[in-house]
Amino acid sequence: MLKRFRSLFRVLKSRREFEQGMTEELRFHLAQYTDDLVRSGMPPQEAARRARIEFGGLSSVQEQCREARGLNPFDELIRQLRHAARLLRKTPRFNATALATVAVCLGANLTIFAVVDSILLRPLPFPEAGRLVTVFNTYPKAGVDRDGSSVANYYERRGKIPAFAGLAMYSYGTAVLGDAGSTEREQIAQVSPEFFSTLGAGPVMGRSFTDEETSTQTDKVVILTDAYWRQHFNADPHVIGRQLRVDGLRDTVVGVLPPGFRFLSSEARLYFPFSSRPEDRGSGQRHSGGNSKHLIARLKPGATLAQAQSQIDAQNATLEADDPEAKMMADAGFRSVVAPLHADHVRTIRPALLWMQAGAFALLLIGAVNLTNLLLIRASSRVKETAVRQALGASRLHVVSEVVVETTLLTLAGGLLGLAAGAGGIRLLSVLGADRLPLGSHIAFDARLACVAVLGAIVMGLALAVPIAWFNLRGHLASGMIQSETRGGTPSRGAQSLRHGFIVAQIALATVLLSGTGLLGLSLERAMAVSPGFRPDHILTGQISVPWNRYPDWPARLAFNERLLQDLSRQPGVSAAGVVNNVPLSGNSGKSAATVKGHVRLPGESPRGYYSYGVDGDYFAAMGFSLREGRFLTADDSLRSSQVCVVDEDFARYYWPHASALGQHLFEGGEPTTDAQSFTVVGVVGAVKQAGLTDQTAQGAIYYPYALIGNDRLFIVVRTDLRPESLGLALQKLVRQIDPELPVNDLRSMDTRIADSLVEQRSPALLAGIFSLIAVLLIAVGTYGVLSYAVTQRRREIGVRMALGARPEQIRGQFLSLALRLLMAGTVLGIIGAWLTGRAMRTLLFQVPPLHVATTAAAVGIIGVVSLVACLLPAHRAARMSPVEALADL
Amino acid sequence: MGKTAELLPGTLEMLILKAVSLKPLHGYGVLQRIQQISGDALEIPQGSLYPALYRLEHQELIVAEWGVSANNRRAKYYKLTVAGRRRLREETAGWNRLAAAMATALNTAPEEV
Repeated sequence: MLKRFRSLFRVLKSRREFEQGMTEELRFHLAQYTDDLVRSGMPPQEAARRARIEFGGLSSVQEQCREARGLNPFDELIRQLRHAARLLRKTPRFNATALATVAVCLGANLTIFAVVDSILLRPLPFPEAGRLVTVFNTYPKAGVDRDGSSVANYYERRGKIPAFAGLAMYSYGTAVLGDAGSTEREQIAQVSPEFFSTLGAGPVMGRSFTDEETSTQTDKVVILTDAYWRQHFNADPHVIGRQLRVDGLRDTVVGVLPPGFRFLSSEARLYFPFSSRPEDRGSGQRHSGGNSKHLIARLKPGATLAQAQSQIDAQNATLEADDPEAKMMADAGFRSVVAPLHADHVRTIRPALLWMQAGAFALLLIGAVNLTNLLLIRASSRVKETAVRQALGASRLHVVSEVVVETTLLTLAGGLLGLAAGAGGIRLLSVLGADRLPLGSHIAFDARLACVAVLGAIVMGLALAVPIAWFNLRGHLASGMIQSETRGGTPSRGAQSLRHGFIVAQIALATVLLSGTGLLGLSLERAMAVSPGFRPDHILTGQISVPWNRYPDWPARLAFNERLLQDLSRQPGVSAAGVVNNVPLSGNSGKSAATVKGHVRLPGESPRGYYSYGVDGDYFAAMGFSLREGRFLTADDSLRSSQVCVVDEDFARYYWPHASALGQHLFEGGEPTTDAQSFTVVGVVGAVKQAGLTDQTAQGAIYYPYALIGNDRLFIVVRTDLRPESLGLALQKLVRQIDPELPVNDLRSMDTRIADSLVEQRSPALLAGIFSLIAVLLIAVGTYGVLSYAVTQRRREIGVRMALGARPEQIRGQFLSLALRLLMAGTVLGIIGAWLTGRAMRTLLFQVPPLHVATTAAAVGIIGVVSLVACLLPAHRAARMSPVEALADL
Repeated sequence: MGKTAELLPGTLEMLILKAVSLKPLHGYGVLQRIQQISGDALEIPQGSLYPALYRLEHQELIVAEWGVSANNRRAKYYKLTVAGRRRLREETAGWNRLAAAMATALNTAPEEV
């Protein structure tokens, strides 16, 4: 077999040579034979004639020789390709429409598939990534779904869970790098020693961290990413042992990671040891995850997720036996969940992505139906030719393969254009913010995608060929077809109802797509209309991380805040300025427990987590919070570390529905402590949206003086009469004047933050909008094509009827009523489909019912108007047809 | 010319292999050689010779090479490959077995049954 392919390949490579050689060889044979005959006494002319007769038909011998070399299928294919190309060239308008349809539909699918593939399908870039899992604590009854894991969890589980081959902890953060005056804030990650070995990818130069480097005194070491090493160390091969200034202290480089190393969506450019103090590791800190520290683990070969889960559950049960907090945690529904790392990381965008793919696929179906209809129309106009060819002996296989070659040629060409469209689409997606999705920076347009494009084009070509081939084969009943399609004046029933069925399907699909888009758009609009609970206009926000090593105690940190806020208030255009440890809608709002003095939990009432903030300066005024009762916190409260706090109305309503919250006392944490540590409620503010605009639960929030809950990261919030962004430079300058080593990052107006927080709603809605627009265009083209063909087909009938006295309105009405019937059928199916789709995508919708009457009506209306206008043109043409002209070519 | 026999299907290839196994030959030469070695008993239809040659070449049982004929014209010469030689041997053995069996069968007299 292999041999034959080799021989075939050789011949194909030099096809011309093969033909020349064959001709020469056969000619030589004839010449030799003629000579022999002449030598035996025959006259030369007679000899040549004899030789040719005895040899047989030269071209049939040549054909047999080609067949002997296995060339026939190739010749046939080339002939059919030429035939197809000739046919396609003859109809440039059809071509352009068909190519554009395929290109747009495949392009849209490729674009979305690129995202789905790189985010959902491709395994994480680590060996045997399927065995990587994450473990997180959840307290569902307290309203805390994910709380990460605590340092105590890590040390208690390390080496104790038999199903794990490795367990590691990590957290993200930022660090200020470089010397005074030229500092930069970099994204970093802190990781435990076995982090890299758990992932199965680690430093290519130097080493990983050791256990000795996990205490706060010995953690002055760093591992660089390849990019940082190249950029800041000029790819120095002797970088190990060199020093680097981190947050003002000198750290030693101990390793360099391989190029392209990336953990999930992390932007970290440097890795530091996860260091902790002994007291952080104790059992008292077991539930202090705070969603900032996370565990990953690698399952042992053969171990299952379920085994790991049950081992974790068993260990938790054992540990809880002597845990004073166990009862409360059990009431909060505490559990540690083991989940596959990849699936867990992309869980939030998975439904949206799959729906986008479904939308793109619906578009592809509409496009394919359109093309089928156009091809069917063309096949109808060639029905005589096909019938004649079949009568002359073209085999069924031949008829089928010809169609397949033609449709595949078309879709392949369209597919190549679609690749270009897809490449453009991916660029569009990144403008829409796709690279901010989890794993979004992995989105790639590569050979794998090109293969998918070609494969998709071929499959589409084959699928398109099926109805056309079926139609052509039916044409075998040659006489009947010729009669019905040309002389009788009305088209064949089968072909007609097939085309009409396709129109109905197309209208139904487009209705579903459009109303789905409408639902997404409406959800987005309703989400945007939600008041965040404060006045987001004219606010500039920025982040500063104040390192603990240079601002080691609260007085130092508060002095920094005070100086900054004072300088800011002197700035022209600033009306209020404040500091907070985390702004709402930042995407990482943590919740923590609080206990109200005197409140006894009822049976079945679980402890709750509250959004907790530390504020300084005029934070509430700067944000535009509304005051319901009492007063705001002031800079004074922070300076004096007063034991006071402000709660929001959700919190107040929960605990004191019938009384004033003012003067009440509460404790930070899950248990009441001494009175001296209690906080007095001095004010109640309006509730604000904390995690996202589409938040539905009234979780409650507590605002403490900054000194009591702050961390190394702070947000500055400035209200101004000017355009917020215009204040950015001034703010950076002010901070540098106070401390030249502190850069300000993440400068964004609050309006921008709110808009950015909706990216997961906006991008799908926008994409669906684009798909719908294309679908409407396709509907217009499809309906117009089929209807105007119907008019052409029936011109004789129309001519006869008009000659017999039919009025133009009657002719027009005939076609319009056909269009209306198709539209009605499509709409009914479409509405059913829209309802089912709406139900299925409920998770994506915000305050919108699955079947929103106005949206569906709008979708039906748009499609109705477009398809009716597309019908009007041909119907109008039919009505204005001159009977003489119509009957002329009878 | 004596009496000629019809070729059985498949035997042409065998004859071609045999002919070129003796000495490299061009197509016309193969024809003449077969007639010669069969004592002019076999008539080869000229048109079917070349497809058979091409088929054998496709199966890599023979290879072709351009050369110069006795009367100084460019001609394509065929010769046996190793695989071709092995095939010829097998086919010859198979043929002989068949021929012997056929002869025995056809020569059976009534009293031998």
